[in-house]
Amino acid sequence: MQRARIIPILTVDNGKLVKTVKFKKPNYIGDPINAIKIFNDKMIDEIVILDITASKQGRKPNTDLIYEMASECFSPLGYGGGITSFEEAKKVFDQGVEKVIINSAIAGNASLLQEIADAYGSQSVVVSLDVKKPLFGGMRPCFRSASDVIKEDIVAFAQRMESAGAGELIVHNTDRDGTFSGLDRELTKSVASAVGIPVIACGGAHSVEDMNETISATGASAAAAGSIFVYKDRNPKSILISYPTPEDIISR
Amino acid sequence: MTTLNNTTQDVRVCTKTVMDNIADPDITFDENGVCNYFYQYQDRVEKFFVGGEEGQRQMEEVFAKIREEGKNKKYDCITGVSGGVDSTYMVYLCKKYGLRPLVVHLDNGWNSEIANQNINNIIDKCGFDLHTHVIDWEEFRDLQLSFLKASVIDLELTSDHAIFAVIYGLAQKHGITYMLNGFNITTEGILPSAWRWFKYDWLNIRSIQKQFGSKKLKTFPHVSFGKKTYYEFVKKIQTVMPLNYIDYNKEEAKELISRELGWRDYGGKHFESIITRFYQGYILPEKFGVDKRKAHLSTLIASGQMTRDEALEELKQPIYDADMLEEDKEFVLKKFGFSEAEFEAVMNAPIKAHTDYPSYITKHYKYHEQIMKSISPATRLVKKALGIRRENKSY
Repeated sequence: MQRARIIPILTVDNGKLVKTVKFKKPNYIGDPINAIKIFNDKMIDEIVILDITASKQGRKPNTDLIYEMASECFSPLGYGGGITSFEEAKKVFDQGVEKVIINSAIAGNASLLQEIADAYGSQSVVVSLDVKKPLFGGMRPCFRSASDVIKEDIVAFAQRMESAGAGELIVHNTDRDGTFSGLDRELTKSVASAVGIPVIACGGAHSVEDMNETISATGASAAAAGSIFVYKDRNPKSILISYPTPEDIISR
Repeated sequence: MTTLNNTTQDVRVCTKTVMDNIADPDITFDENGVCNYFYQYQDRVEKFFVGGEEGQRQMEEVFAKIREEGKNKKYDCITGVSGGVDSTYMVYLCKKYGLRPLVVHLDNGWNSEIANQNINNIIDKCGFDLHTHVIDWEEFRDLQLSFLKASVIDLELTSDHAIFAVIYGLAQKHGITYMLNGFNITTEGILPSAWRWFKYDWLNIRSIQKQFGSKKLKTFPHVSFGKKTYYEFVKKIQTVMPLNYIDYNKEEAKELISRELGWRDYGGKHFESIITRFYQGYILPEKFGVDKRKAHLSTLIASGQMTRDEALEELKQPIYDADMLEEDKEFVLKKFGFSEAEFEAVMNAPIKAHTDYPSYITKHYKYHEQIMKSISPATRLVKKALGIRRENKSY
C-alpha cells in the first residue's frame, strides 16, 4: 500500500509568500525560505512552489530564490511560473528542482513538454491544468493565473497534454482557490479517468479529510492545497503553517 | 573568545549564584562574595512577587476581575505566544481559569518547526483565536542587519519591540484592556542591564535603521513613547503578569504543558526561534562575551529551583550543539544574504553601546525622571480622578 500524496502549494509573488483567493487579494504569509524549512522539517511528501505573477508580468523564473528554496527542501520540489523555454526549464532544474510545472507556455508551444521530457524524463514534467468556468459554457482551460481562458474541452485538453509529453497533471479549479469550498471531485474524476498519467487534485481544499476523500473518490494520485496549510482553522488572520501527521493521511 | 573585561581583571564568580564579572561592568560583590544581582533578585521578589496560597488567591481574583470586566466583549484579554515555555504556560492558565484571550503570534521569519507545531497544538487544545502578525521579512531582514552592523548588543530589541507594538495595537482595536505577559521573576528575575536594552526604545531602533539600513521602515510595528502613554493612560490598557503571583517552577511548567497541550521541548531558553538561538548561542558569547545561561541559571538558584553546583555543571556543557550551530549558521547567513566574510566583519567590529545612537534613554529619560518626580503628586491625583489603577505586579 502506498500512502496518498498530500502536497502543500506555496504561491510566491515577487519573492514574497502570499495566499490568494481566486488568485486575487494576495495576503502576505512571510518569507518563503523559512516556510519551506518548516514544511521540510514536518516531513512533507512533496511541495510545489508557484510564482503566480511571473508569467503575467513577463518575468523569467527567479533562479536565486529557487536555489535558496530548493536547498532547504529535501522532499521532491516542483516549481512553476515563468518557464517558457527549454533553457529556462534547464536553469530551474539546475537549482535542485525535481519537477517543472508548465502552464502559460503550453498555450503556444506544446512541444516544450516533449523537449523537457526527453531530457529529464516525463515524470519531471508537470502541466498545471488551470480550469475556470466562464459566465457561459462549461469548464475551460485558462492561463496566466486564470486571466486567459481558451475554448477547448477540458478533458480533450488534458489528453492533448498527456500525448504532448506531460508526466503528471495538476487539475486546478481556479474558481475555488482560497475559498475552502472543497476540491472539485467531478472535474478531477473526469480528467483522471480520461488520462493514464497521475493527476493531482487542487483548488479549494477544505481539510485534509477532503483531500483524502477526493483521492479515494476520483482516482487522483495526490491532492494539493495552499490555504489549509498556511491558515489555522481556515482563518486568514491566523497564519500558521501546518501539515498532517502520517496517521492523518490515508493509504491507498 | 572576545570578552569585554576579563582580559584586564581576574574572573570573579558570585558565591551564591553563577554570575561573574565577565562582560558585565555593573556587577559588584559584597564582603561574602555575593553579587548585587542576588540581592536585587530578593528585592524584586519582595516588591513584585506574592507566591504561595495568597498569591494563588490574588491571581484568581485578578482573573475574576478580567472575566467580569470583559464579559460583554469578544475577548477579555490579550496575550502573546511564541511556542516557548512561559507564553505557553500563560495560555494554559487562560484556559484553566476560563479567560477568553486573543492569542497573538509574531512571525518574524525565524520560527522553528517546533515553535510552529507547539503553537498549533496549543491553539487546537485551547480553542482560542490566534492572530498572527507576519512582519514584512525584507524590511525586517534589513533592520536586523542594521543592528548587526551597528554592533549593539540587543539584536532581539527588534522582535521584542514589534510584539509589544502589535499587542498594543490589537488590544486597542478590540477594546481589550488587559495584556497578560508571561514574564516572571522566579525564572527571569536576574538579567544584567548591560546585556539588553530598553524594549520600548523606538527612537533607538529608528536611528540605527536610518544610519545603517537600506530600506525605510514602512510596515514595521512600532510604538513610540507618546503612543505607549496614550495606550496606557487614555485607553487604559494595562499589563498583568500572572506568573509573578504564583510559585512558578520551570520544570513543573514544562511537564504540565507537555502533558496538557502536547508541547515539545526545544533545548535552551528561547531556542524556539532560530535567530534567537544563534544570537544567544553564538553572537552573544563570541562577540560580546555574554553567556546568558548564567543569568537564567542564577535566577533558578535564587528562586530555589536549582543548586549552584547543578548550575555550574550545566555551564560546563557547550551552549550550542556543534552540528546545530553549523546548520543554523549556514541558514542565518543565507537568510541575511551575508557572505562568510561579511559576517566575520560584523563579528569583529568594535562593540558599540545603544546610547552611541539616539535613544529615548539619553534624550528624554533623565529629564523624564526629574519631571516625573516633581509632578508625581499631581499625576497621582489625576490618575485617581480618571480611575486608572494598577492591578499588576509589574515593574
